[in-house]
Amino acid sequence: MWRGLWTLVARAARGPRSPRPCTRQGSGVPVPGSGTTIFALSSGHGRCGIAVIRTSGPASGHALRSLTAPRDLPPARSACLRLLSHPRSGEPLDRALVLWFPGPQSFTGEDCAEFHVHGGPAVVSGVLQALGSVPGLRPAEAGEFTRRAFAHGKLSLTEVEGLADLIHAETEAQRRQALRQLDGELGHLCHGWAGTLTKALAHVEAYIDFGEDDNLEEGVLEQANSEVRELQLALGAHLRDARRGQRLRSGAHVVVAGPPNAGKSSLVNLLSRKPVSIVSPEPGTTRDVLETPVDLAGFPALLSDTAGLREGAGPVEQEGVRRARERLEQADLILAVLDASDLASPSSRNFLDTVVAPAGAGSPNGNSQRLLLVLNKSDLLPPGGPDPSPNLRPHLLLSCLTGEGLDGLLEALRKELAEVCGDPSTGPPLLTRARHQHHLQGCLDALGHYTQTKDLALAAEALRLARGHLARITGGGGTEEILDIIFRDFCVGK
Amino acid sequence: MFSLRNCGLWVAASLTKKRLTLARFSGDSAAPLATKFDVIVIGGGHAGTEAAAAAARCGSRTLLLTHRVDTIGQMSCNPSFGGIGKGHLMREVDALDGLCSRICDQSGVHYKVLNRRKGPAVWGLRAQIDRKLYKQNMQKEILNTPLLTVQEGAVEDLILTEPEPEYTGKCRVSGVVLADGSTVHAESVVLTTGTFLRGVIVIGLEMHPAGRLGDQPSIGLAHTLEKLGFVVGRLKTGTPPRIAKESINFSILNKQTPDNPSIPFSFISETVWIKPEDQLPCYLTHTNPKVDEIVLENLHLNSHIKETTRGPRYCPSIESKVLRFPNRLHQVWLEPEGMDSDLIYPQGLSVTLPAELQEKMITCIKGLEKAKMIQPGYGVQYDYLDPRQITPSLETHLVQRLFFAGQINGTTGYEEAAAQGVIAGINASLRVKRKPPFVVSRTEGYIGVLIDDLTTLGTNEPYRMFTSRAEFRLSLRPDNADSRLTFRGYKEVGCVSQQRYERASWMKSSLEEGISVLKSIEFSSSKWKKLIPEASISIGKSLPLRALDVLKYEEVDMKLLATAVPAPLKKYITCRELAERLKIEDWGC
Repeated sequence: MWRGLWTLVARAARGPRSPRPCTRQGSGVPVPGSGTTIFALSSGHGRCGIAVIRTSGPASGHALRSLTAPRDLPPARSACLRLLSHPRSGEPLDRALVLWFPGPQSFTGEDCAEFHVHGGPAVVSGVLQALGSVPGLRPAEAGEFTRRAFAHGKLSLTEVEGLADLIHAETEAQRRQALRQLDGELGHLCHGWAGTLTKALAHVEAYIDFGEDDNLEEGVLEQANSEVRELQLALGAHLRDARRGQRLRSGAHVVVAGPPNAGKSSLVNLLSRKPVSIVSPEPGTTRDVLETPVDLAGFPALLSDTAGLREGAGPVEQEGVRRARERLEQADLILAVLDASDLASPSSRNFLDTVVAPAGAGSPNGNSQRLLLVLNKSDLLPPGGPDPSPNLRPHLLLSCLTGEGLDGLLEALRKELAEVCGDPSTGPPLLTRARHQHHLQGCLDALGHYTQTKDLALAAEALRLARGHLARITGGGGTEEILDIIFRDFCVGK
Repeated sequence: MFSLRNCGLWVAASLTKKRLTLARFSGDSAAPLATKFDVIVIGGGHAGTEAAAAAARCGSRTLLLTHRVDTIGQMSCNPSFGGIGKGHLMREVDALDGLCSRICDQSGVHYKVLNRRKGPAVWGLRAQIDRKLYKQNMQKEILNTPLLTVQEGAVEDLILTEPEPEYTGKCRVSGVVLADGSTVHAESVVLTTGTFLRGVIVIGLEMHPAGRLGDQPSIGLAHTLEKLGFVVGRLKTGTPPRIAKESINFSILNKQTPDNPSIPFSFISETVWIKPEDQLPCYLTHTNPKVDEIVLENLHLNSHIKETTRGPRYCPSIESKVLRFPNRLHQVWLEPEGMDSDLIYPQGLSVTLPAELQEKMITCIKGLEKAKMIQPGYGVQYDYLDPRQITPSLETHLVQRLFFAGQINGTTGYEEAAAQGVIAGINASLRVKRKPPFVVSRTEGYIGVLIDDLTTLGTNEPYRMFTSRAEFRLSLRPDNADSRLTFRGYKEVGCVSQQRYERASWMKSSLEEGISVLKSIEFSSSKWKKLIPEASISIGKSLPLRALDVLKYEEVDMKLLATAVPAPLKKYITCRELAERLKIEDWGC
């Protein structure tokens, strides 16, 4: 959708093919869709306590006055209680909080009004119908508020994407991540890089177009080269962080594994607070991988229940075991479950040797895999008795039956997942979209070409490519921007 | 949505205006009818000459109207053509069989390719030109072009009639009214009036109306265009003083010598008219703090600088250089104006101070201590028409069959003007024949970049070409302009001569043949290394290398290859251009 918007804005900027308006256009990009006023229910559909209805456009003030007649507009940006009534029939609709945001200091940059009404479907549809009866108002199309905010320069493209994430944020951590992106932190970072790159490119372009005829200062090219090198380092460091951001958006993969009948399915059901897996005393009950999305301590996670790892069962169960091992390799975090009362059994020992020990030592691809060792069925241990396994690596005691130890497990999960996903409230902003990562990588690759190329026109082309990649995140990057820098930084001309 | 709404408003407004305009011109139709032409070109500058010649080459009976025939081909500013970006434009004009490149090959006094070290995509062909020779050669060319009539006369007005319903535009131009009241009819009209629309010349606090020093501005025409509803803007530019050659002490200055051999501008020139050793040098000097001082102390005497009209950010006056970049030494190139000219053009010293202060400033500069100023520098302010009012074929949206080219569209520079002239002339002719317009896209040439920038973005400063404006810079090179445009010009338009077409075809087939020969020669890497020790070929590779692969090494050119493998390759180095193009082009795998 945003790609479509780009072409739309680009087309608007280039103007129509045949007769153009003969007035001198302002410097800004013509704003699509301005003129009409739109309204929509901005909170979710369905029954809820409060529903928020918004309008944006020049007739917002008129609409607000029409519904709250005979009273005048409330003061800007402060909540007021008003009786809403239908502008035609005068029929009262609801007592509601109303807010008035005169443009340009509003979300879209246009005049906006908000109606915080009671959330019943009858009230909401009544107010929407009343707004529809005000001349000059029409229902908004999907995403139109954000589009207007973007068109008025209120949101950058990264902020728009951040907002889309915010709307779909299902968990607290995702909300924080989305909020940070909306604040434009990724945008600021990218804008900083884009600024450096544009300047370097402008200096190379100046050297090409004016280096021979005009007296550019010494070392223009050398300075551009060192800026490119710094940018390579910064981008490289940021990209190494990138996968964490992605994991946060789609959820970390948490795999529950262990020998048969250790209580894996019980743990999955406990964590997801619903009966995902069938639980029975019979070993080998779970044969396939069962997945369920859960909120683990504020982080989105995909929880997988797997077949108990053992040899020599029937072909169906063997396939289940194969799938379980495959899933273990992809896991961001392994919850290894053992029966606390059965640690000495061959299947337990085998599991400790083949799964738990390697995870601690680091996996073959170099990244050590995270693992939490959980000893279930603590209710079967003699109360107050000694630790059943003093030689084991750090572990947690849990009883899925009584719920004892669950708080400790959740706290440990929170710590582990914060590491896996990256805590969005600390550290540099993460790359939550594959698209961002793609373009940053493209930018970095192009910078590599720049440093390796001798022909200056070819090298400049690599910089242009790199700038183009960043422009896909931040916008900008046009020729005029380059020329502006050239003429600001150099005294060129004859 | 926004623009559509405005369009509605515009249509309403234009309809009311149309009635007014037509009423105004109906009286003129009674005037005696002069000869009828296919295309009339108004203006004999760099855009006008190219437009008139191009329309005539396309087979249209063409009339060139100019104030004075003896100013045709006048270089009113710097005595040079080409440069980085501008040289690209000249190559493209030449590929469409335009005039300026050929005339430059017959009139230059110092040929030099800029950016030689920076890659062939950004090489800038440039030459200092003898003003007198250029004018003579251009007039000879124009006055001998078949189908082209040249007539003196000042155009006061346009004759307008009902629009053709199948095209946009509120009316159609069908001829012009001259100052003496006579009329000339034509199917298309190209306007290339340069700085003559309400032109004003400024020296110090003095301002007087003029299109160029000593020439009357066009006021009536400016009035007409405004009445038609064209949006008009104002721009300014300037030119430096001229200095007596014998009063300059060249012996203490840096001397710049021309290239040897000289590279001609035109694809069909084998060489230029003058040997390198007979060419004239240029000299370099610099401004100093004394110059800054004089400029800053006398800003109150300088109305050109005080005005808010936009001047160029490049090619700025010495005043704006001093104001924007203080405490620096600015370059001043001392350029010859011609073989037997006594004048030197101090490039970089464009100034509008009162004349006596200009002389005082000049004599502060190294080498110019005893310099005699022959003519003061001056500023020009003039009207231009917002180029967003024209289509990519340079026809106006408002008036059918009316074309604009050159400075009237907000550009600066001979080459930019010539490029628009060729396109306007071709399209004025095509329009008469009811053929589809000839449009060069951004992917095909700098001409396309120029026109696309102007017609979609407009400009608020005099627009000049730079290579940084071209997105497809690597493929829009000076060397391959013929392969991009000559065939199109020949087949689609007919503006290209048979001789040029055959030359371009020969080059194309020779390149193709050369590539297949280069692909066919295969040796082991160790044998190549022995044949061409200069090349950094790594010997370890087991696969054989083709000559084409070896040519990709930076340090290998056709000459080296032909020395190593003379038998099939020798014939490809007899033509310098062919050998160079085999090396430059990316022939893929």
